Amino acid sequence: MAVNEKKFKMNKDENRKEHFEFIRKYVEWLKKTPNKKWSKVHAKFLSK
Amino acid sequence: MEMKFSKKTIEMNKILSPLDKFVFDFCRILDDEKIRYVIVSGYVAIVFGRSRNTEDVDIIVEKIPYEKFERLWNRLKKKYECLNTNEPKTAYYEYLKNKTAVRFSRKGEVIPNFEFKFPKMDEDVISLNNSVELRIKNKRLFISPIELQIVYKLKLESEKDVGDAIFLYELFKEKIDEETFKNWIAYFKIKENIIKELDESYGSK
Repeated sequence: MAVNEKKFKMNKDENRKEHFEFIRKYVEWLKKTPNKKWSKVHAKFLSK
Repeated sequence: MEMKFSKKTIEMNKILSPLDKFVFDFCRILDDEKIRYVIVSGYVAIVFGRSRNTEDVDIIVEKIPYEKFERLWNRLKKKYECLNTNEPKTAYYEYLKNKTAVRFSRKGEVIPNFEFKFPKMDEDVISLNNSVELRIKNKRLFISPIELQIVYKLKLESEKDVGDAIFLYELFKEKIDEETFKNWIAYFKIKENIIKELDESYGSK
Protein backbone atom coordinates (compact mmCIF):
# COMPACT_ATOMS: atom_id res chain seq x y z
CA MET A 1 0.00 0.00 0.00
CA ALA A 2 1.20 3.46 -0.78
CA VAL A 3 -0.36 6.86 -0.54
CA ASN A 4 -2.17 8.10 -3.62
CA GLU A 5 -0.01 11.17 -4.30
CA LYS A 6 -2.50 12.75 -6.70
CA LYS A 7 -5.45 12.40 -4.32
CA PHE A 8 -3.32 13.52 -1.37
CA LYS A 9 -2.29 16.73 -3.16
CA MET A 10 -5.85 17.41 -4.28
CA ASN A 11 -7.08 17.01 -0.72
CA LYS A 12 -4.31 19.29 0.57
CA ASP A 13 -5.15 21.96 -2.04
CA GLU A 14 -8.87 21.78 -1.24
CA ASN A 15 -8.16 22.15 2.49
CA ARG A 16 -5.94 25.15 1.79
CA LYS A 17 -8.66 26.80 -0.32
CA GLU A 18 -11.30 26.15 2.33
CA HIS A 19 -9.01 27.54 5.05
CA PHE A 20 -8.53 30.78 3.09
CA GLU A 21 -12.31 31.05 2.58
CA PHE A 22 -12.71 30.74 6.34
CA ILE A 23 -10.18 33.55 6.91
CA ARG A 24 -12.15 35.85 4.57
CA LYS A 25 -15.40 35.09 6.41
CA TYR A 26 -13.68 35.61 9.76
CA VAL A 27 -12.38 39.03 8.67
CA GLU A 28 -15.94 39.98 7.59
CA TRP A 29 -17.08 39.11 11.12
CA LEU A 30 -14.18 41.04 12.70
CA LYS A 31 -14.91 44.15 10.64
CA LYS A 32 -18.53 44.36 11.75
CA THR A 33 -17.90 43.38 15.39
CA PRO A 34 -17.07 46.02 18.04
CA ASN A 35 -13.50 45.85 19.40
CA LYS A 36 -14.70 45.04 22.89
CA LYS A 37 -16.49 41.92 21.65
CA TRP A 38 -14.04 40.44 19.11
CA SER A 39 -11.00 41.13 21.29
CA LYS A 40 -12.66 39.39 24.24
CA VAL A 41 -13.26 36.29 22.10
CA HIS A 42 -9.73 36.54 20.68
CA ALA A 43 -8.04 36.99 24.07
CA LYS A 44 -9.98 33.97 25.39
CA PHE A 45 -8.93 31.92 22.35
CA LEU A 46 -5.26 32.87 22.82
CA SER A 47 -5.42 32.02 26.53
CA LYS A 48 -6.36 28.38 25.84
CA MET B 1 -13.66 46.72 14.43
CA GLU B 2 -12.97 50.35 15.09
CA MET B 3 -9.53 51.77 14.33
CA LYS B 4 -7.93 55.02 13.22
CA PHE B 5 -5.54 54.44 10.37
CA SER B 6 -2.88 56.68 8.85
CA LYS B 7 0.38 55.97 7.01
CA LYS B 8 2.44 56.24 10.19
CA THR B 9 0.01 55.31 12.98
CA ILE B 10 -2.80 52.90 13.72
CA GLU B 11 -4.87 53.52 16.81
CA MET B 12 -7.36 51.12 18.38
CA ASN B 13 -8.78 50.00 21.69
CA LYS B 14 -9.17 46.35 22.52
CA ILE B 15 -8.95 43.83 25.33
CA LEU B 16 -5.33 42.72 25.49
CA SER B 17 -4.50 39.02 25.17
CA PRO B 18 -1.72 37.45 27.27
CA LEU B 19 0.45 37.56 24.14
CA ASP B 20 -0.24 41.30 23.69
CA LYS B 21 0.79 41.93 27.30
CA PHE B 22 4.01 39.97 26.78
CA VAL B 23 4.81 42.02 23.67
CA PHE B 24 3.94 45.42 25.13
CA ASP B 25 5.96 44.77 28.33
CA PHE B 26 9.07 43.83 26.36
CA CYS B 27 8.77 46.70 23.88
CA ARG B 28 8.38 49.24 26.66
CA ILE B 29 11.86 48.33 27.85
CA LEU B 30 13.26 48.93 24.35
CA ASP B 31 11.41 52.26 24.24
CA ASP B 32 12.81 53.24 27.65
CA GLU B 33 16.31 52.37 26.45
CA LYS B 34 15.72 54.44 23.29
CA ILE B 35 16.37 51.48 21.02
CA ARG B 36 14.55 51.45 17.69
CA TYR B 37 12.79 48.24 16.75
CA VAL B 38 10.07 46.87 14.52
CA ILE B 39 7.86 43.84 15.00
CA VAL B 40 7.43 41.77 11.86
CA SER B 41 5.77 38.54 10.76
CA GLY B 42 2.99 36.62 12.55
CA TYR B 43 2.29 38.87 15.51
CA VAL B 44 1.44 41.74 13.14
CA ALA B 45 -1.58 39.70 12.04
CA ILE B 46 -2.34 38.31 15.51
CA VAL B 47 -2.52 41.73 17.19
CA PHE B 48 -5.34 42.65 14.77
CA GLY B 49 -7.28 39.49 15.59
CA ARG B 50 -5.88 36.68 13.41
CA SER B 51 -7.22 33.45 14.86
CA ARG B 52 -3.95 31.71 15.63
CA ASN B 53 -1.26 31.81 18.28
CA THR B 54 2.51 31.80 17.94
CA GLU B 55 5.48 30.58 19.94
CA ASP B 56 7.68 33.49 18.92
CA VAL B 57 7.46 37.17 18.12
CA ASP B 58 9.92 38.36 15.49
CA ILE B 59 11.57 41.66 16.31
CA ILE B 60 14.19 43.51 14.29
CA VAL B 61 16.28 45.84 16.42
CA GLU B 62 18.57 48.56 15.11
CA LYS B 63 22.27 47.67 15.25
CA ILE B 64 23.51 48.96 18.58
CA PRO B 65 27.02 48.99 20.08
CA TYR B 66 27.88 46.31 22.62
CA GLU B 67 27.74 48.74 25.58
CA LYS B 68 24.16 49.63 24.78
CA PHE B 69 23.26 45.97 24.32
CA GLU B 70 24.81 45.11 27.69
CA ARG B 71 22.74 47.84 29.37
CA LEU B 72 19.62 46.40 27.74
CA TRP B 73 20.64 42.87 28.77
CA ASN B 74 21.04 43.93 32.42
CA ARG B 75 17.61 45.53 32.33
CA LEU B 76 15.99 42.52 30.65
CA LYS B 77 17.54 39.92 32.96
CA LYS B 78 15.33 41.03 35.85
CA LYS B 79 12.25 39.57 34.11
CA TYR B 80 13.49 37.70 31.06
CA GLU B 81 16.07 35.11 30.15
CA CYS B 82 17.97 34.52 26.96
CA LEU B 83 17.33 30.97 25.74
CA ASN B 84 20.59 30.78 23.78
CA THR B 85 23.19 31.85 26.33
CA ASN B 86 23.68 33.39 29.76
CA GLU B 87 26.47 35.64 28.54
CA PRO B 88 25.70 39.00 26.92
CA LYS B 89 29.04 38.97 25.07
CA THR B 90 28.19 35.60 23.48
CA ALA B 91 24.70 36.80 22.58
CA TYR B 92 26.11 39.92 20.95
CA TYR B 93 29.29 38.71 19.24
CA GLU B 94 28.46 35.09 18.44
CA TYR B 95 24.79 35.46 17.58
CA LEU B 96 23.64 38.99 16.74
CA LYS B 97 26.84 40.14 15.02
CA ASN B 98 26.78 36.89 13.02
CA LYS B 99 23.27 37.72 11.81
CA THR B 100 21.68 35.08 14.02
CA ALA B 101 18.77 35.76 16.34
CA VAL B 102 18.70 35.30 20.10
CA ARG B 103 15.51 34.42 21.95
CA PHE B 104 14.19 36.02 25.12
CA SER B 105 11.33 34.58 27.17
CA ARG B 106 9.96 35.41 30.59
CA LYS B 107 12.09 33.64 33.19
CA GLY B 108 11.29 29.92 33.29
CA GLU B 109 8.58 30.10 30.61
CA VAL B 110 10.35 29.38 27.26
CA ILE B 111 7.20 30.24 25.25
CA PRO B 112 6.25 32.71 24.04
CA ASN B 113 9.60 34.25 23.24
CA PHE B 114 11.05 37.13 21.25
CA GLU B 115 13.22 36.26 18.30
CA PHE B 116 15.53 39.25 18.57
CA LYS B 117 17.78 40.10 15.64
CA PHE B 118 19.64 42.90 13.91
CA PRO B 119 18.60 43.82 10.34
CA LYS B 120 19.91 41.33 7.77
CA MET B 121 18.13 42.02 4.52
CA ASP B 122 17.27 45.30 2.74
CA GLU B 123 13.61 44.75 3.60
CA ASP B 124 14.52 44.56 7.32
CA VAL B 125 16.10 48.02 7.13
CA ILE B 126 13.14 49.40 5.16
CA SER B 127 10.77 47.92 7.72
CA LEU B 128 12.72 49.48 10.58
CA ASN B 129 12.93 52.89 8.91
CA ASN B 130 9.25 52.95 7.90
CA SER B 131 7.66 51.33 10.92
CA VAL B 132 4.07 52.08 11.87
CA GLU B 133 3.27 53.10 15.43
CA LEU B 134 0.45 50.96 16.79
CA ARG B 135 -1.31 52.55 19.74
CA ILE B 136 -3.59 50.50 21.93
CA LYS B 137 -5.00 52.31 24.95
CA ASN B 138 -2.03 54.14 26.45
CA LYS B 139 0.55 51.70 25.10
CA ARG B 140 2.48 51.65 21.86
CA LEU B 141 4.66 49.46 19.73
CA PHE B 142 6.17 49.64 16.26
CA ILE B 143 5.13 47.23 13.53
CA SER B 144 6.15 46.65 9.95
CA PRO B 145 4.32 48.62 7.23
CA ILE B 146 1.20 46.62 6.33
CA GLU B 147 1.90 46.52 2.56
CA LEU B 148 5.37 45.05 3.12
CA GLN B 149 4.04 42.62 5.70
CA ILE B 150 1.37 41.21 3.38
CA VAL B 151 3.77 40.68 0.48
CA TYR B 152 6.51 39.23 2.70
CA LYS B 153 4.00 36.67 3.97
CA LEU B 154 2.99 35.79 0.40
CA LYS B 155 6.65 35.18 -0.45
CA LEU B 156 6.86 32.53 2.29
CA GLU B 157 4.02 30.62 0.53
CA SER B 158 3.06 28.22 3.36
CA GLU B 159 -0.64 27.89 4.24
CA LYS B 160 -0.07 29.67 7.57
CA ASP B 161 1.85 32.55 5.98
CA VAL B 162 -0.46 33.06 3.01
CA GLY B 163 -3.30 32.88 5.55
CA ASP B 164 -1.69 35.76 7.46
CA ALA B 165 -1.35 37.70 4.18
CA ILE B 166 -5.01 37.13 3.26
CA PHE B 167 -6.08 38.15 6.77
CA LEU B 168 -4.16 41.47 6.65
CA TYR B 169 -5.15 42.16 3.04
CA GLU B 170 -8.86 41.63 3.71
CA LEU B 171 -8.67 43.76 6.85
CA PHE B 172 -6.71 46.66 5.31
CA LYS B 173 -7.46 46.48 1.56
CA GLU B 174 -9.35 49.79 1.53
CA LYS B 175 -6.46 51.48 3.34
CA ILE B 176 -3.26 50.12 1.83
CA ASP B 177 -1.19 52.16 -0.63
CA GLU B 178 -1.69 50.40 -3.98
CA GLU B 179 1.53 51.66 -5.55
CA THR B 180 3.68 50.63 -2.58
CA PHE B 181 1.91 47.27 -2.55
CA LYS B 182 2.53 46.65 -6.28
CA ASN B 183 6.18 47.63 -5.87
CA TRP B 184 6.63 45.06 -3.12
CA ILE B 185 4.90 42.40 -5.26
CA ALA B 186 7.47 43.11 -8.00
CA TYR B 187 10.40 43.29 -5.53
CA PHE B 188 9.64 39.88 -4.02
CA LYS B 189 8.70 38.37 -7.42
CA ILE B 190 5.47 36.89 -6.07
CA LYS B 191 4.16 34.00 -8.18
CA GLU B 192 0.92 34.49 -10.10
CA ASN B 193 -0.83 31.54 -8.39
CA ILE B 194 -0.07 33.00 -4.95
CA ILE B 195 -1.39 36.44 -5.98
CA LYS B 196 -4.58 34.69 -7.14
CA GLU B 197 -4.93 33.11 -3.70
CA LEU B 198 -4.74 36.57 -2.17
CA ASP B 199 -7.38 38.10 -4.39
CA GLU B 200 -8.77 36.72 -7.65
CA SER B 201 -9.46 40.24 -8.87
CA TYR B 202 -6.07 41.68 -7.92
CA GLY B 203 -4.42 41.11 -11.34
CA SER B 204 -7.04 43.25 -13.07
CA LYS B 205 -6.54 46.23 -10.72
